[in-house]
Amino acid sequence: MDCQAEVNCGLHLVIQTSSLPEKNKVEFKLNKDTSSFPGRLLQHDLERNYSSRQGDHINLVSSSLSSFPILQRSSEEKILYSDRLSLERQKLTVCPIINGEDHLRLLNFQHNFITRIQNISNLQKLISLDLYDNQIEEISGLSTLRCLRVLLLGKNRIKKISNLENLKSLDVLDLHGNQITKIENINHLCELRVLNLARNFLSHVDNLNGLDSLTELNLRHNQITFVRDVDNLPCLQHLFLSFNNISSFDSVSCLADSSSLSDITFDGNPIAQESWYKHTVLQNMMQLRQLDMKRITEEERRMASVLAKKEEEKKRESHKQSLLKEKKRLTINNVARQWDLQQQRVANIATNEDRKDSDSPQDPCQIDGSTLSAFPEETGPLDSGLNNALQGLSVIDTYLVEVDGDTLSLYGSGALESLDRNWSVQTAGMITTVSFTFIEFDEIVQVLPKLKIKFPNSLHLKFKETNLVMLQQFNALAQLRRIDQLTIDPQGNPVVNFTLWKYYVLFRLSHFSMQKINGTEVTQNDMIMAERLFGILAHVASSELPQYRLISILGDARKKQFQYLLESKGKKPGIINEENNDSKRLVGENTNRATLNYTTRDFYNEKLEEIKEKKKFCKTYIEDLVKEATEINMKNEALQKLWPQMFIELVRDAVIEIRNKNSYMKLCLQQITDQK
Amino acid sequence: MLSPERLALPDYEYLAQRHVLTYMEDAVCQLLENREDISQYGIARFFTEYFNSVCQGTHILFREFSFVQATPHNRVSFLRAFWRCFRTVGNGDLLTMKEYHCLLQLLCPDFPLELTQKAARIVLMDDAMDCLMSFSDFLFAFQIQFYYSEFLDSVAAIYEDLLSGKNPNTVIVPTSSSGQHRQRPALGEAGMLEGVEASLFYQCLENLCDRHKYSCPPPALVKEALSNVQRLTFYGFLMALSKHHGINQALGALPDKGDLMHDPAMDEELERLLLPFLRLAQVPGLVNSVTASPEASCLPSRTPPRVGSPWRPLHHSRKVDGESDASTEETDESET
Repeated sequence: MDCQAEVNCGLHLVIQTSSLPEKNKVEFKLNKDTSSFPGRLLQHDLERNYSSRQGDHINLVSSSLSSFPILQRSSEEKILYSDRLSLERQKLTVCPIINGEDHLRLLNFQHNFITRIQNISNLQKLISLDLYDNQIEEISGLSTLRCLRVLLLGKNRIKKISNLENLKSLDVLDLHGNQITKIENINHLCELRVLNLARNFLSHVDNLNGLDSLTELNLRHNQITFVRDVDNLPCLQHLFLSFNNISSFDSVSCLADSSSLSDITFDGNPIAQESWYKHTVLQNMMQLRQLDMKRITEEERRMASVLAKKEEEKKRESHKQSLLKEKKRLTINNVARQWDLQQQRVANIATNEDRKDSDSPQDPCQIDGSTLSAFPEETGPLDSGLNNALQGLSVIDTYLVEVDGDTLSLYGSGALESLDRNWSVQTAGMITTVSFTFIEFDEIVQVLPKLKIKFPNSLHLKFKETNLVMLQQFNALAQLRRIDQLTIDPQGNPVVNFTLWKYYVLFRLSHFSMQKINGTEVTQNDMIMAERLFGILAHVASSELPQYRLISILGDARKKQFQYLLESKGKKPGIINEENNDSKRLVGENTNRATLNYTTRDFYNEKLEEIKEKKKFCKTYIEDLVKEATEINMKNEALQKLWPQMFIELVRDAVIEIRNKNSYMKLCLQQITDQK
Repeated sequence: MLSPERLALPDYEYLAQRHVLTYMEDAVCQLLENREDISQYGIARFFTEYFNSVCQGTHILFREFSFVQATPHNRVSFLRAFWRCFRTVGNGDLLTMKEYHCLLQLLCPDFPLELTQKAARIVLMDDAMDCLMSFSDFLFAFQIQFYYSEFLDSVAAIYEDLLSGKNPNTVIVPTSSSGQHRQRPALGEAGMLEGVEASLFYQCLENLCDRHKYSCPPPALVKEALSNVQRLTFYGFLMALSKHHGINQALGALPDKGDLMHDPAMDEELERLLLPFLRLAQVPGLVNSVTASPEASCLPSRTPPRVGSPWRPLHHSRKVDGESDASTEETDESET
């Protein structure tokens, strides 16, 4: 086989060796390579064991002076192959001393057992040093080889890259098949074009700056999990990362910034198994021409960009969603805090002596334990910065209105105003559930008519933290068109603590025929129980109230229907006739409980205030009447007392007058004439 | 009522004693408030209805607390109304003070919590206020508290005085009762024994009743209540009052304890109200679900009640209406 060695400034480095015709020598002689030495070195895939056969005519003479063998060549060979020396497969365990060959340029020690690089410091013209397949444990002894361009140290036992400081002209560095764990001490190799670190123990890639000429970097068969600094390699075109441990594109994100990369392999990595692998790589590395040793087609690129755009969209959407959610959460927290403060204030007014000082409003973050339970994120004092930020929020976001499919959620009393908005018929029609949170029930009562009109399909009402305290408050719900489900969250609604609240609801709102209360189905037994408990109340409320009271409570609208009902009451109490039932149906609500109303506390107090004036007037009016009556009575009594006397006197006077008929006649005539 | 003594009183006093003026004022006030509605059917009718309702005791329904409290008759009417309306509730579980208060508020929206609390204290002997109470216990205690509230306030003051050793009677009433003028060192030790001595206490009460212008329980009955105890506490006294049948009867608002749950007239009404629901329960397939409203209200008319009550049959029903009212009552009872 002809050995041929060429140095090529291009991509590949190929070294071919060709065998030489053996010369018949009695003594050991060196077989020289034929040199068609145009000055170029080519090297095929450096991993593969490139075949080279070397002649075995080496003259190794053991010297008595040192432990190293001394190499000697015949002068013929020296002349023929003056610049190259091959000591391949010579079973060398040490580097022999090479004398008189100081102009050597190519030195081949492949397939030996050399453990240390030695005795070559005199070969200062060396360009290529091949120590492939030896037992070298440390890079050393190269400090004088300033001209070295090719250093092949594959398949050794090197643990650390070191001692390459002076090799500034290095063009190819092959360290594959070693035990290297870290990339270091190569930053000065600014002429290095090919770096092979395959089959080592690298766990990550960095520290690559300074390799301004590197075009090929082979990192196959390592344990690499992330890659950095590749964007600092301005000439890198080929990067082989097959059979490593890369699982996400983020860990190799620097590749996206490398404009020179055109060929990359990831096969054998976990990332290559992912569904998004191909298009993510393609999308992030637009400059790529070849992936996993296959050319990238236009079609693939197009697909990649489409898919990547979709992912981008999705990410943006989810980001937006999470932003919205965060905002919502903050708003709700804000509303909750306002609510708690408000409740506290009310409670403070109500039970002044019971409150401890720790609830003072100077520290709004410290809320009474009982109300805090629902907001675990509020526990503990917030730092001032966050508090300020939240204060800023509170100015704007004191309420929240949210429409989510068929549910309308209102947080905070400000949200009630949103019912006035122009809701599209479609949206409003879809709403079946309305949820109120952190709003006083009394305020909700006032907007129930609006709710009835604007959201006709709302069938399920939910109340949480709405301060439902009295059974009466449920009366207010009767004015709605229909309710199928009612959910009263125990939190913030003390009324739920009463064992009878559900029955009262069923009783008062029986005309709705509700199906569920707080998630549990309403059974016939429940309805019966409710009627049993409160039926009499309804009966009393309807039949025993005087009519004027009924009318004043029910209002004009119901008057006619109620009058009709009342008229039918005139019949024998034992008979309930059809008409009664019919009218019940017509009215749509059991009229016997229609009188059970709820006026909000404020409204009630207002009314009482108004009545005070009237009461005062009535009092004075009645007093006047009484005075008059007593006066009249007195006068009457006085008259009664005096009357007999007066009567007697009247009679006596009359009798006295008529005693003398004649004179009486004269007197009368006189009176008549006087009258003229 | 029509005794000659009444004519002996001067006018104002007579009116005041019967609280006539209160009702007159209230009537005129109501008239003013609802003049549009009332004017339609005549003022005379209005006054008739008003005073009829006063007589029947229904005038206090859903009225403000200041009116409910205004006269003894109002209070009695209110107690009676409360009993009638919520007797069925009382038939069931025990309830807490707050729940009773809720029920009270259904009849009188601004009923104050303090009164209910005081009533509960009587039942629970000033113990844990969250305990459950039975309807009858609460009702009788509430009766005493509500009807005699002013009286009880004075009694409380007297009790405190007695407890602390002051005897209000030493100054005011020079009766011949023994030991009143003496300093009673025993009273100083009264703190160690519970309450005050019954007889002394009773004397103070008697004097209170004489000069009190508010209504008091009849002294004879009070004496009876205190007769068999040596010493008593304030709440013990109140509890004794509330359990005393005689006082209850004197008030006339509520029936005796044993009859508390009986009210045949109302029971009849209740059964009538329940009838549609019970019929519904017996239709197969509807036992555990409530159908939509139109059907529910139609159903009673579709399934005619038959035996035992004068319902008019509307049309044939497939249901066997062999159950009489009696049997439905039985099932009711077994359900409760």
